[in-house]
Amino acid sequence: MSNSHVLLKDSLGKKVLLLGNEAIARGILEAGISVVTTYPGTPASEIGDSISEIAKDTGLYMEYSTNEIVATEVAAGAANCGIRALTAMKHVGLNVAADLVMTLAYAGVRGGYVIVTADDPECYSSQNEQDNRYYALLSSLPCLEPSNAQEAKDMTISAIEISEKLELPVLLRTTTRVSHTRGPVTYGRTIKPHLKGEFIRDVKRFVMVPAHSRPKHSVLLKKFEMAKEVSENSPYNKIVQNGKSMEIALISSSSAYNYAVEAADMLGLDVSILKLGMTHPLPEKMIGKFLKKHAKAIVVEELEPYLEMQIKAIAKDYAPNIEIYGKMSKPCFPREGEFSTRIVATGLAEITGKKVSIDFGKIDEKYAEVTKDLPRRPPILCAGCPHRASFYVIRKVAGERALYSTDIGCYALGIAPPLNVGDIMTCMGASIGTAEGISKATNANTFAIIGDSTFFHAGIPGLINAVYNNHKIVVAVLDNLATAMTGHQPHPGTGMTGMRSPTEKISIEKVAEGCGVRFVKVVDPFNVKEAETVLKEALRFDGPSVIVFRAPCTLIVVRERRRKGAELLACKINEKCTDCMACIKVLGCPALIVEEGKVGINEALCSACGLCVSVCPYKAIECVKIR
Amino acid sequence: MREFNIVLAGVGGQGILLAAEVLGTAAIKEGLNVQVSEIHGMAQRGGAVVSHVRIGEKAMSATILEGHANVLLGFEPIETLRNLKFASEKTTVIMNEERITPPELTAKQIKYPSMEEIMEKIHCFTKKVIVLDAARLAKKAGNILTENVVLIGALAAAEKLPLKNSSIIEALRELVPAKHLNVNVKAFKFGYETVKKGQD
Ligand SMILES: Cc1ncc(C[n+]2csc(CCOP(=O)(O)OP(=O)(O)O)c2C)c(N)n1
Ligand code: SF4
Repeated sequence: MSNSHVLLKDSLGKKVLLLGNEAIARGILEAGISVVTTYPGTPASEIGDSISEIAKDTGLYMEYSTNEIVATEVAAGAANCGIRALTAMKHVGLNVAADLVMTLAYAGVRGGYVIVTADDPECYSSQNEQDNRYYALLSSLPCLEPSNAQEAKDMTISAIEISEKLELPVLLRTTTRVSHTRGPVTYGRTIKPHLKGEFIRDVKRFVMVPAHSRPKHSVLLKKFEMAKEVSENSPYNKIVQNGKSMEIALISSSSAYNYAVEAADMLGLDVSILKLGMTHPLPEKMIGKFLKKHAKAIVVEELEPYLEMQIKAIAKDYAPNIEIYGKMSKPCFPREGEFSTRIVATGLAEITGKKVSIDFGKIDEKYAEVTKDLPRRPPILCAGCPHRASFYVIRKVAGERALYSTDIGCYALGIAPPLNVGDIMTCMGASIGTAEGISKATNANTFAIIGDSTFFHAGIPGLINAVYNNHKIVVAVLDNLATAMTGHQPHPGTGMTGMRSPTEKISIEKVAEGCGVRFVKVVDPFNVKEAETVLKEALRFDGPSVIVFRAPCTLIVVRERRRKGAELLACKINEKCTDCMACIKVLGCPALIVEEGKVGINEALCSACGLCVSVCPYKAIECVKIR
Repeated sequence: MREFNIVLAGVGGQGILLAAEVLGTAAIKEGLNVQVSEIHGMAQRGGAVVSHVRIGEKAMSATILEGHANVLLGFEPIETLRNLKFASEKTTVIMNEERITPPELTAKQIKYPSMEEIMEKIHCFTKKVIVLDAARLAKKAGNILTENVVLIGALAAAEKLPLKNSSIIEALRELVPAKHLNVNVKAFKFGYETVKKGQD
């Protein structure tokens, strides 16, 4: 591996293979963006993570903020001192930041400011598949939508320029396919970060009391008119192909554009194609003129009919007789899930009466036959995961009758059998408040299960509410000292910053005490006996209680051990094993295997956490050195 | 060449994403257009992982159309079956025989399907199948963790792959830590030679 980071390579003008998110990170360097903030979330995480890797070398400032709204506040604050800034988040992160963003749009920003929202059609790693282009519509902010890695980089730079021109934050909206596809990217020159800003006082602009907000709303609408001009002239909105017959117009953006081009090619369609890269505000005149020349328009977009709805409105003025196909009155494409060339080709075939040359039905049939009994392989908690130990203890003490309000993180995987911990889960931080409502309504033993990063992100107001309104719930904070699910980013409890500098470790137990919780205990989940005792006490306690189950994420522990060349341990089954399957039945650890009716341990996976040692009734498992 | 499509399929932890990145980097070195799709997030936790590598000027979208893989590179038998929809009779399936039992089977104490059953299913799609023991070859190269590179070696021996061995090795040099490079190059060669020998 060469010493220099791929993003810092001296490859001016050369093509480099970059992940869409890395391309955005490279765009950050080429745009001279100097403050980057984020809260991790798939599929956005690699933007912040790669900037964190190089921040010190480049002189820009990077932070993992407590949550998305704080991230937005920090970056927008800096932008309002004339600094170029960017915040990256996953789509649902923008829900958290929305309160700020909606009003920030009124005041605008002085330095360029880009908000990256990475949407997740198909919910590959999310709780919903909301289409954040609607936030552009809602806030009146400009929005750019790249369709590949090169555009992701280029649009990051353009977004900063548009932002500075209009003095408005700009949304850069990717999808999982754009963020997580590697493609060739040509490097341009980088600009040295510029971190010295100045806050010029302007109370009427920045203090959004009603008397100031009203005129600023008009200012926003004026800027919106200017943004329309930018969109009309944007190089990202272009007719890439004129059909021979000028009968059918295809309009598309983002990854859907790639599928549309491939599908049209596959069907041999004679179509004109308009590619939209700046999708808010839309280039009304350009679209209007384009529609006028055609008899039919087909809008190809993933998720919501965001373009279609607006294109219909444009058509009313420019081409009232044109037929518009998409998802609304002439539906040909699904409104949910990720697209593919197949889905788009099928829709286009339906509209045009062409035949798809591939017999997908036959492939499906054969595939269904071959995979009929194929076992699934969903993600599960790693072997040695401390969450497994916590769930084992919780389930053992509180049992089937207790109710478990869980939260988002690796520990959400606890819903799988045999652990079965998790009855309700909605969005980050919701576990605590939800548990309060459930406990009020049922009087059952009610748990809130929440991770450490999630606790800091959005758990604290819920906890204060439990104390304030005296909700008798048990809050189990599963503290693995990392934001594990999204790639082990640091958080306020880890003592490490995004600049890779040591910092104050914020203690979850002290926060809980500070919130007024009178029962706060810290346990090691692998110390099963002690954890059980504490949990029983908590259930007897009259009032909200907090138990911090603290043990580091096993992946981090194992990685550290390997890096240091320390000896590796694994568990081993001895001759006392009766193959009673107790360990297999209660733990669901992937390192525990059954071969020919005999229990065994996969040494490569086992990290010697010792949980199965505690569970085995015959003392038939022990930890041994393997290397 | 319009396009050359490779599906890489296996289980989290098998090094699939790195293998895909190596192929993508090699393509760039040859001046070819390439798209490498990945699904992240759940990869480390023992779940199914798949990556699509599309090489060639026609490759715009990141995902391969059903029935359109030139090669299905299976890191694990069950995951190979799970991705057969990308295969047709023209596809070469290169499969690692190492089985990783899905936890569902362990929990229900159901046996992993036999090699005969697996081959029979693959044969419903294509007769061009190469099976190899990547774990053995990786160990022989000096590190069990190089199974993924053994499989890239096997792929390199496949018909019409538009990548030169030298570009793949260059890509390895860029992407694997210097101290592991030799072992990886050996692993690549073992994979390559095994398939070449089998074809003669
Ligand atoms: C608003 C919002 N931001 C980000 C995410 C992405 N996300 C999913 S899980 C997770 C982190 C969980 O970390 P932690 O609570 O420490 O649990 P762990 O994964 O370490 O067990 C994040 C950030 C999200 N789902 N929602
Ligand atoms: S990554 Fe860490 S926290 Fe997540 S399942 Fe694995 S061991 Fe558990």
